Amino acid sequence: MAGAGGAGFAGALRVEPSTFNLQSSTLISVVVIGLNHRTSPVELRERFAFADEKIPGALQALRESGVASEAVILSTCNRVEIYAATASAPEAAFAGLKKFLVTHHAFDGPLNDELYTFAEPQSLQHLFKVASGLDSMVVGETEIFGQLKQAYELALAHQHTGARLNRAFQRAFNVAKHIRTETNIQRGSVSVMSAAVELAEKIFSSLARHEVLVIGAGETSEKTARALQSRGVKKITVTNRSPERAAALAAELGGRAVPFENWPEEFERIDIAISSTAAPQHILDRAKLEPLMKRRRNRPLLLIDLAVPRDIDPAVNALDNVYLYNVDDLQSVADDYLNLRKEEIVRCEKIIAEKVAALLEANKFSDADGRGR
Amino acid sequence: MAWFTDRHFFLLAVSLYGLCAVHSVFLWRKGFRRDDHVIFFLLLAGFALHTTAMFKRGLRLDACPVNNLYEATTFLLWALALACLAVGLLPRLKFLGAFASPVLFAVGVFALMPSLDPPHGPKPDFSNWLTSLHAATILLAYGALGLGAVAAGMFLLQRRNLKEHKVSAVLSVFPSIQRLEMISARLVFAGFVLFTVGLAAGHELPRKADVSFFFDPKVLWSVLMWLVYLELQVAHKFFGRSSRNFAVGVIVAFVFLLLTFWITNLDSPLHHP
Repeated sequence: MAGAGGAGFAGALRVEPSTFNLQSSTLISVVVIGLNHRTSPVELRERFAFADEKIPGALQALRESGVASEAVILSTCNRVEIYAATASAPEAAFAGLKKFLVTHHAFDGPLNDELYTFAEPQSLQHLFKVASGLDSMVVGETEIFGQLKQAYELALAHQHTGARLNRAFQRAFNVAKHIRTETNIQRGSVSVMSAAVELAEKIFSSLARHEVLVIGAGETSEKTARALQSRGVKKITVTNRSPERAAALAAELGGRAVPFENWPEEFERIDIAISSTAAPQHILDRAKLEPLMKRRRNRPLLLIDLAVPRDIDPAVNALDNVYLYNVDDLQSVADDYLNLRKEEIVRCEKIIAEKVAALLEANKFSDADGRGR
Repeated sequence: MAWFTDRHFFLLAVSLYGLCAVHSVFLWRKGFRRDDHVIFFLLLAGFALHTTAMFKRGLRLDACPVNNLYEATTFLLWALALACLAVGLLPRLKFLGAFASPVLFAVGVFALMPSLDPPHGPKPDFSNWLTSLHAATILLAYGALGLGAVAAGMFLLQRRNLKEHKVSAVLSVFPSIQRLEMISARLVFAGFVLFTVGLAAGHELPRKADVSFFFDPKVLWSVLMWLVYLELQVAHKFFGRSSRNFAVGVIVAFVFLLLTFWITNLDSPLHHP
């Protein structure tokens, strides 16, 4: 996906220092140029993506072009961004960075609002937001933190960062950690699978002691079972109309398979059932479950119905100790968590604004000492 | 500060329990989303004042301060607050205080009624160690049973929220309902054991020849309560009574205990010789 990067670009992009106001008296500032999931479709993002192995060469070319004295390239499936420290005026730097991006990727299509640019202090605010997951597609996700760290370490290892970007990125990582511990931005489950796991933990003291029955060996139920396994579930039983498919999934999950006609007998032992068959009508209703609950001596039972049309009659939820959640219920839990995270954004932005102000203040002092260049 | 009596200290303690109850309303409205330390520290401050009140009364009497309804009630509430603080140290159980504080406040206000604290006649006799054992175990039993009812209340709230798919069930930092049920059952069992020991100690206490032990209203009431708690536990443990019905039973039994123990106490020749 990456273009023909390399040192050759340096010559093509080299611009006279005067164009970028590279005067010794000019202070270095951090600027950002990029495109992300909000501003551009995947077709465009993949055109501008940098392959990991080509990033050091691209950074070298960018610095040699004179556009930036320090640079970090972040390239993920949702964003491509260049963080640069430059002595140029922001507008000139943005023009140079845009030219670099277009030339590096040999892009000849039109570009309008897809690219965004930030100068200080917005550039630092943007960096802190990205590190904290505030700018991610799923607000508060943590994967971006690792990706940003990796991008920074790659640039650092190839000596493409200096005092300005080192300080900015170190602060960004600290702020992200601070936000993670002080706010609810990363709290809760934002997918159906993890919402199911969280529900199970609200019902049972320890998932390790409880057995799960997977009815219907579909992909969603498999993912949910795996999510439960990751939180301690040890025993999994799988049943499916096709015994081969049941046996295959049971083997994958390290569980056992039972014939489809025998699954009601498992209810005496299991405490969580995940159902996602293609049955056109309910496979479990109140009349069927009531006697099974008596045999369970009223132990709680969590039923997760991921099938559409639904496998489990909603009336069973009226039974004592039965907790039934269908795919919409779980989605609603996930959506509520997402809303909770969004409510936290204001708190996070306040923290970020304070930290950016502190960083700019620190930069001012080091500029005065002559250490920030 | 001589005018600042043990009752004043208790009044301050009840005021803090009241503050705790008010704070609990806000936590309830927010859905108990974060572990809250304010409840715990308000309860701790109230408990410190409460202990000071009982200590001052004990020093004045030079005996265990459980000789009238005011003293018995303050002892009961003290046991409940102590149990709340101890259990509140466990993870995710700080909110027990939020559920217990309305009880502590309401019963505390009731205990402050002047008629429940008449001037002491002859100095109470606690020379018999069984008397102290009886009073202490019975009141600690009430504390444990009260906390069992509080945990049962949390269980019912969380169970209802889970049943009705309310997001607050997932967002709250309550323990799992299985754990809440276990805590409630264990507290009821502990209360039951203490109650049994207290009743047995009461039977061994010296009494006047013309006073019958088994026909004393307080004893009859205590035996009734003992049977109620026995039935609740046996039905839950051995006959598959549902967790919901057990929790409702535990709450109803404790409310009945709170509403009636002082009537039977007043009416008891054994306790008012």
